[in-house]
Amino acid sequence: MSDPTADPNKVWPTGLTEPEAQELHRNIIQGTQIFGAIAAFAHLLAYIYSPWLH
Amino acid sequence: MIYGKIWLVVKPSVGVPLLLGAVAVSSFAVHYALLTHTTWLPKYYDGAAGRVAMATTAPAVAPPAAPK
Repeated sequence: MSDPTADPNKVWPTGLTEPEAQELHRNIIQGTQIFGAIAAFAHLLAYIYSPWLH
Repeated sequence: MIYGKIWLVVKPSVGVPLLLGAVAVSSFAVHYALLTHTTWLPKYYDGAAGRVAMATTAPAVAPPAAPK
């Protein structure tokens, strides 16, 4: 059994490497941007077609 | 990418569900508040506008049957 804490590239407490953390963060940011774009479009439709804010 | 290092100290198995859960709960709360504090959103969900429109455009009596 190799000790996972012996890997100098891993950072604790999560045990991820910095490139892994950056890759995860890129995906989260991209998902947030796509979700935000769809939500903004939905709110535009709600503003146009409902009494909201009128 | 800026702030990417957060995942070195926050476990993704905790942070990602927490993030998505916060978005879900807060957006639900906002839309529920709209549902309970406006008059037009309950009507929209109830389909009342559609029923009123149908009632005003529907004929008062059924059209006569076509001759045989």
